[in-house]
Amino acid sequence: MLQKVLIANRGEIAVRVIRACHELGLRTVAIFSEADRHAMHVYYADEAYSVGQAQARDSYLNIEKILNVARVAEVDAVHPGYGFLAENHEFAQACIDAGLTFIGPMPHAIAIMGDKVVARSAMRKAGVPVVPGTEGESSLRDEEIVAIAAKIGFPLLIKSAAGGGGKGMRRANDQSFMINALSEARRESEAAFGDGSVYLEKLIQGARHIEFQIMADNHGNVIHLGERECSIQRRHQKLLEEAPSVVLSDDIDLRTSMGEVACLAAKSVDYVNAGTVEFLLDEDRNYYFLEMNTRLQVEHPVTEIVTGVDIVKEQIRIARNRRLSRKQHEIELKGWAIECRINAEDSYRDFIPSIGTINTNIVPTGPGVRVDTGVYPGYTISPHYDSMISKVICSGKTRGEALLRMRRALEEYRIVGVKTTIPFHQKLLNSHRFMAGQFNTSFVDDDFSLGDRSDTDDEIAAVFAALAAHQYRQQAAHVVQRGERDTSNWKWVGRWERMHR
Amino acid sequence: MKYLATVNETTFEVVINEDSYVTVDGQRHEIDFRAVGNGPLYSLLIGGNSYEGHIEGTDDGWQVLHKGDLYMVEIEDERSQRLMKLGGAGIATKGDYYLKAPMPGLVVSVPVKEGQEISQGDILVVLESMKMQNELKSPHDGTILRIQVNPEDTIQQDEVMLVLSPLDDQ
Repeated sequence: MLQKVLIANRGEIAVRVIRACHELGLRTVAIFSEADRHAMHVYYADEAYSVGQAQARDSYLNIEKILNVARVAEVDAVHPGYGFLAENHEFAQACIDAGLTFIGPMPHAIAIMGDKVVARSAMRKAGVPVVPGTEGESSLRDEEIVAIAAKIGFPLLIKSAAGGGGKGMRRANDQSFMINALSEARRESEAAFGDGSVYLEKLIQGARHIEFQIMADNHGNVIHLGERECSIQRRHQKLLEEAPSVVLSDDIDLRTSMGEVACLAAKSVDYVNAGTVEFLLDEDRNYYFLEMNTRLQVEHPVTEIVTGVDIVKEQIRIARNRRLSRKQHEIELKGWAIECRINAEDSYRDFIPSIGTINTNIVPTGPGVRVDTGVYPGYTISPHYDSMISKVICSGKTRGEALLRMRRALEEYRIVGVKTTIPFHQKLLNSHRFMAGQFNTSFVDDDFSLGDRSDTDDEIAAVFAALAAHQYRQQAAHVVQRGERDTSNWKWVGRWERMHR
Repeated sequence: MKYLATVNETTFEVVINEDSYVTVDGQRHEIDFRAVGNGPLYSLLIGGNSYEGHIEGTDDGWQVLHKGDLYMVEIEDERSQRLMKLGGAGIATKGDYYLKAPMPGLVVSVPVKEGQEISQGDILVVLESMKMQNELKSPHDGTILRIQVNPEDTIQQDEVMLVLSPLDDQ
């Protein structure tokens, strides 16, 4: 029986999983690091246990400590969320060995898809088209790689076998770039993943990033929930996702074909539970397997909205050994959904993280708006984890409606205390190429500019602040003269002095 | 009352002497400035345009959320300007740029040397924080005066990492 679930994660995704569990009547156990005692997932869970220091390797990545909590709290299952240990096959195995249900795929599937080189060759064998590149082993020597590079053709990408998130990735435009780029990629990969193995992939120019959501149960049923378009990326980090894709919504045959191939990819590794098969789609509508993410994705809500499937609840259902609640022909994509990732970053200063306490957090509401977040007023963004504050998901009957709704929602959103990527999204939503759906994975890096903040807006901000300061000053002076404030005069004087320290 | 409001490295002179007018850098505008409810939300009508701002005072200045963008505005009034002058605080305002850590983190590298001439946009420090390597760049041309951090150092927010003097000082 599955009655109590430990969520081996933090932030918005831990909250998301807790919500699904509570809807299913399951008890929830949160874990938290020293830095997260006041995180929302700790408050929302039925039980919460500390797993150590702020540094992720001492807490959220510490398998032993997490399993110890699982034992003490007597849980039946573990949900890994995304990031941290979600794609660590040793963790999945350790959960199974401890007699727990791991809400995710089997360790062997995680292991195959985790090594990008192994995954490529497994996919090729299964008949899934992969991006042209090095075949076979990842332990090639530099000379061998340089020789193969000429055959693949330039420009190409050098990628880390263990990689992800753009780390250990280098572009080589011709032979002369190879040696330098190779050593840089190896060094970065070694530093990030403890493994300097690299492989080559032809650079598909003008490609879109299209991914398919897969659901598979323990009874051999594998379906897909349609695609997500994730081409809006900055330095390989996704910023905005939508479902469906502009390209596939007027090419149903292509959707059918890609969906079938995605299911084939999953079946070839005996995949169970939720997963995502990522493809590159070139300008001639050829598609290539990129990688498979063996976990719940950040952007899963857009698929939930257009299909009506609660993916997290379905994950738990699968873990309980039930059959999928829907068959492929029952999956219909209705309407449109867009997700904006709101990060604590300064859009105007190279997306540098912004640390601080969120004083005000007024979240957009109204028709067609969903916000998944793990922050609240008074919450402090710490430097220990990623900078995501929330995900705003807007839906509509058409892409146009979803887009206008997103624009409206971002206008309503009020976060004071840290800088956010809201201005970036606002500019993006106003760009003609985005509106027309004409973009690919290099759009944000190469063809999109936030522009300079206008001087008028700086001036307005300056006037606002000066007027507020003036009013404050007058009030404070007033209070010292006459005691007609209802709050203590000492408090006012204290505030006044603090302002002028 | 005269205020100097600095936002994104631009300073505006804002003079407020009456309720319905402000003078910004010598230009007089008719205004209507009201708090919306008791909260930190304000409405500003200026020259017929309507703006909404969410304003909060912090220890470091005023935060203004305007059209989705958060502005950090430093306000100095006449008195604090006078005090600055009297206190001889002018030394620090000669134009030296103190690169402060925008967040706590780990110094990955400092790709510049003391005495080195650099141009606007050159990378001064690479700081790792929030799972990312952040490149802190020079706001203008200048010479590196002092470097106060080394690779592998763990530093606190607002710690001065490096001092840069503008070229024309040399």
